[in-house]
Amino acid sequence: MTRHKCSSSRTVGGLEPGLETFAGFFERWLQEQERDLQDLIRVAKSDSESTQSVAELVNRVMGHYSNYYRVKSESSKHNACEMLTPAWRSHLEDAFLWIGGWRPSMAFHLLYSKSGLQLEAGLTELLAGLSTGDLGDLSARQLARVDELHRHTVREEKELTEKMAAHQETVADSSMVQLSHVVTELMHGGDSGNGTESVDQRVNSALVSKEEGLEQILGKADDLRLKTLKKVVDILSPIQAVHFLIAAAELHLRVHEWGRKKDAQAKESTKPTKIC
Amino acid sequence: MAGMCCGINVGETEPTSPVEPAARTGHRRRVELRQLKIISDMAEARMKRQKVGEEEKVEEEQIQLRLPASLSPPPLEVARECDNASENCSEVVAKTDGEEQAVVEEFPKFGVTSVCGRRRDMEDAISIRPSFCSKRQKTSHQSEGFHLYGVFDGHGCSHVAMKCKERMHAIIKEEIESRESEEWSETMIQSFTRMDSEVGERLANAAGDVSSSCRCELQTPQCDAVGSTAVVAVVTPEKIVVSNCGDSRAVLCRNGVAIPLSVDHKPDRPDELKRIEEAGGRVIYWDGPRVLGMLAMSRAIGDNYLKPYVIPDPEVTVTDRSPDDECLILASDGLWDVVPNETAVSVARMCLNAEKPPSPPRSPGNDAVIAADGESSDKACSDASILLTKLALARHSCDNVSVVVVDLRRNPL
Repeated sequence: MTRHKCSSSRTVGGLEPGLETFAGFFERWLQEQERDLQDLIRVAKSDSESTQSVAELVNRVMGHYSNYYRVKSESSKHNACEMLTPAWRSHLEDAFLWIGGWRPSMAFHLLYSKSGLQLEAGLTELLAGLSTGDLGDLSARQLARVDELHRHTVREEKELTEKMAAHQETVADSSMVQLSHVVTELMHGGDSGNGTESVDQRVNSALVSKEEGLEQILGKADDLRLKTLKKVVDILSPIQAVHFLIAAAELHLRVHEWGRKKDAQAKESTKPTKIC
Repeated sequence: MAGMCCGINVGETEPTSPVEPAARTGHRRRVELRQLKIISDMAEARMKRQKVGEEEKVEEEQIQLRLPASLSPPPLEVARECDNASENCSEVVAKTDGEEQAVVEEFPKFGVTSVCGRRRDMEDAISIRPSFCSKRQKTSHQSEGFHLYGVFDGHGCSHVAMKCKERMHAIIKEEIESRESEEWSETMIQSFTRMDSEVGERLANAAGDVSSSCRCELQTPQCDAVGSTAVVAVVTPEKIVVSNCGDSRAVLCRNGVAIPLSVDHKPDRPDELKRIEEAGGRVIYWDGPRVLGMLAMSRAIGDNYLKPYVIPDPEVTVTDRSPDDECLILASDGLWDVVPNETAVSVARMCLNAEKPPSPPRSPGNDAVIAADGESSDKACSDASILLTKLALARHSCDNVSVVVVDLRRNPL
């Protein structure tokens, strides 16, 4: 436990050995993200930070994202299904999930939206030839690189979506259809001898192969998420990256809270009380 | 005049006809949203219409102030880098090097930006062809370069737009060279028709040419449902010839005033509506006005399935260049849907007039090298195109955004 406390000031580390579920880790990750957010906001507001210290903060925050995906990948090995239908997410988030997480191309919408807000806010300065230093100030080269990355990411995203589709369809492959039939027959035939045991084994191995497929696709989806995040940050200057990471954390944390709140309200309203 | 008001000459008879469709939400396709207010500006635009109306003589009021001295040649040797989101750069450079142009030539200055934006597919294509064609001028001893700028906004898939990008300038060059006199309207109409039939041929024997990475399956009939807008500006030492088909747009900035050089072809434009209905087609409101309820523009290259209602004939405007001309903006509706002509022009103008470029050399990112290349004028055009693109994204454009800004000022050397 002491180890936990100590690590919480820097990084949430990994799962507590033997006792922590991913859900528990996720809660700590949210707290870490909230702390990172405060640091990022502080740096964004300050004029005195050196480029180097800004870059260090960006690195640290990115390190936390890497760590999050490392732990997630470990957990997926044990239970890909659970990771794909995460109980620690609200229904709201759940509805917007793409293969167990945020859709990678959303990073570009996030960037364009935040950049747009800062552009409109700083338009007068920008037109006067002044630099605003934030995301409103994306250069031609940066925009070109973002655009290229965007197209590339959408392509990869589509490929994975196809992969997932193909894998989902295997739920009705011959072996599964045959197995489900055999099991049904057994249930009705009342035959509960040796046959059942071997059938159970067959069911298990069939399901394991399905889960392995899911784990693989989830792994690739998470890779794409982290890769996209890193590449976007690489294109940005350190201070722009700070603004981007602020927007990302704000959106993630607040949507999570709104979802939670909504879920709580929904639960409340199933009780026989008034609904407004 | 009133009798023909729903027909041919929107420009002059229906200054109040702007259509303001109500539905604004969730339009991913080229639709509504369009403030056809351009129409009121038409008098200034001096449209040259094929279908003759009375007023169009205006077109010939000329401001023929040629400044021979101002045509002085900027140094040719540097093929500037264009640092934009455009794969055209290399072509541009290669092209300029390849042509054995007379050194006495107005070197075009332009900026290009073309991004996918909030769409999942990129269907815009841009063609920049400096000195794509030269025509001996009777009045002068040198041959003068014609420059071509084109924006093609594809729909259904990108391959028609890509084909336009690859071929349009070559076709136009052939058409120009095959004529003795400058018959712009005829030249351009013929070029667009040829472009359209090339696209059709390509689809017909698609098997041979599947190399490009289309997302549509080329061999299937729905390939017929692919098309592209085309707005093409040929800039000569004396004239700006804009040919338009579809809802991309060219806008001239003259003395700070925005003058549209093309009128969008929307199915609810009264003259277009009439043409479509006379051809036996219908315009159905389905997420905005659409030809047969499908295509949200009334003219396009390609789209065989909607012929003869959707036609590839361009409307051509020929504008004499004036010393007051500052720049020309060509863009897809990704820009025009969210940025009015006047705003676009004033943004571009400010960039062009900025003593120092809006993104200073020390601006963030890795663009220091580019900013330092010293070609400030092109830098200004690039700044203009990029700022307009960013503005479109900021204003929630959900389409691909492609912007070309051409500097039309003569160098007062």
